[in-house]
Amino acid sequence: MKNVNIFKLSCILISLFITLLLLFAIVSLFLVPDLKDVWHNLFSDEMRFSLKLSIMTGLVSTALVMIFSLPIGYTLSRFDFMGKGFVKTIIDLPVAFPELVLGLCLLLLFGNTWVGRLFSAVGLDFVFTKKGIVIAQFFTALPYASRIMKSTFDYIDPRMEFVSRSLGYSQFETFLNISLPMAKNGILASTVIAFARCIGTFGTVLILAGGTYMRTEVLPITLYLNISYGNMGMALTSGIVLMVVSFLAIYVFEKAEVGL
Amino acid sequence: MSFLRIEGLSINLGEFHLQDISLHLEKGDYLTVIGPTGAGKTILLESIIGFWSPDTGHIVLEDRDITEELPERRRIGIVYQDYALLPHFTVFKNIAYGLRKKEKNGLEARVRDMAASLNIDHLLHRKPATLSGGEQQRVALARALIVEPKLLLMDEPLSALDPQTRRETRSLLKEAIARQGTTVIHITHDMKDAWSLANKVAIFRQGRLLQFGTLDEVFTRPKTEFIADFVGATILVGQVVEHTDGLSTIAVDSFRLVSLDPAQPGSEVKVAIRPEDIIVTKTYPRDISAHNILPARLEGIIRQGSTCVLELGVNDTRLSVLVANNAIERLNLVSGDDLYAIIKSTNVRIV
Repeated sequence: MKNVNIFKLSCILISLFITLLLLFAIVSLFLVPDLKDVWHNLFSDEMRFSLKLSIMTGLVSTALVMIFSLPIGYTLSRFDFMGKGFVKTIIDLPVAFPELVLGLCLLLLFGNTWVGRLFSAVGLDFVFTKKGIVIAQFFTALPYASRIMKSTFDYIDPRMEFVSRSLGYSQFETFLNISLPMAKNGILASTVIAFARCIGTFGTVLILAGGTYMRTEVLPITLYLNISYGNMGMALTSGIVLMVVSFLAIYVFEKAEVGL
Repeated sequence: MSFLRIEGLSINLGEFHLQDISLHLEKGDYLTVIGPTGAGKTILLESIIGFWSPDTGHIVLEDRDITEELPERRRIGIVYQDYALLPHFTVFKNIAYGLRKKEKNGLEARVRDMAASLNIDHLLHRKPATLSGGEQQRVALARALIVEPKLLLMDEPLSALDPQTRRETRSLLKEAIARQGTTVIHITHDMKDAWSLANKVAIFRQGRLLQFGTLDEVFTRPKTEFIADFVGATILVGQVVEHTDGLSTIAVDSFRLVSLDPAQPGSEVKVAIRPEDIIVTKTYPRDISAHNILPARLEGIIRQGSTCVLELGVNDTRLSVLVANNAIERLNLVSGDDLYAIIKSTNVRIV
């Protein structure tokens, strides 16, 4: 072989090496446990409780995330106002924030401040409750969904909206008639990513909702609790379930063909 | 009072800006806005329609100040260069979109009529992505016209089309506008749009309105060298020698030009000559009514499609002459030939 490009070759090899390592790690999750054991664990009381709670809270959180990230994404993409940069930074912050710290911040906020008492007064207690799981998942997943929604709206030519308004439709009607239908791939992608993020949230949930057995126990908590007890079978089963959800999410996301 | 009055309009969007723009249009006027990229032409349209709020100035439509009015209440239509059709709607729904908001009665018949008048009635069930550029632009035009806007704004509507389609679309556009008597502001960089569609022209540069007037005024009497260059005229500077019998004689460089325009003897003036107003001949013309016969040297021939630009040197002065391609062969013209340039005194315009 002549003209071997050492640089190009090294780059490809490094990429392949890491990909293989990750692939082995993922495959081992499916190869190490006894499949009969996994099947059995899947129907245990604890797993059924955890799976059900994960899906319920995940769906509620995802719905909330989308209700908020649509207007937030649209605002960041279309409107200019004072402090826009600040808003963008703060909403994005949880992406870089350690989940545990985010959980701690939420715990302090909803614990013993007037904000917490205000929510308590209307029956919304978030500390060590199932509602707390939703709040923890919501704040963890929101920045991802908002980012996808912002870039989705960025790709829609604002002149489409201009034309609609020139034809007599208000800004809100235009949003419903033009912006939303045109953003449908982005909305799908963002919903899927938000759901995957919600289901997978661990640190925030652990601190705010507490990892209480059969009470605030979602799938990542099941994994964590069972690893602590040394119950590998249950831990691996919840790992596999989480992995399947992530794969489905990535698959749908790729299908929706929206880049971040 | 004028139909549309723009008074002292200024807006600064950072990258683009407009400074102190004032112009008036009458009902049924067709204004073409011409200027290089970055002149602020699109901002002008989007300010009139209400997508940007001006820093200062007023926009008055039919004696009503609409400067602060919501875009959806202004009844001003817009057509963009890239059509901005709604990709998730069929052609029918695109055209019907604005009408559906106003009135649903007879919607289908009106959409079909409008589509038929623009030769797109066979495309109504298709999605915009499956149409050619010319077809998409006719859909965009139908969508804007069907709601009978008081004012129609068009941002380079023909620029993305190939020359053949552009010609066809231009004549369809002309018919449609004439039928409805719509007042139009049309941004273009193609002089042919101005020649064949407009009765008024505005020239913009770097956010300023350089000249606004009738087609004839702007093309034959460009106020500055920049405009002359832009509209293709040559501007010469000279001294008025005399003004007798209704004719002004102007000394330019080393030759004299006679113009029908009045001028004060002794003053310095600029004259504009359009390239299509000059005739060339190889032999000295005798018994001819034209006043200006200038000996010139042919310095270059630039072919551009069916026409040719001849570059003439009259001593140190350059003149451009527009001739049909076959004139080159007929006169057997080659660079370096000695010629005579003939210009009627009516075509030597003092600006």
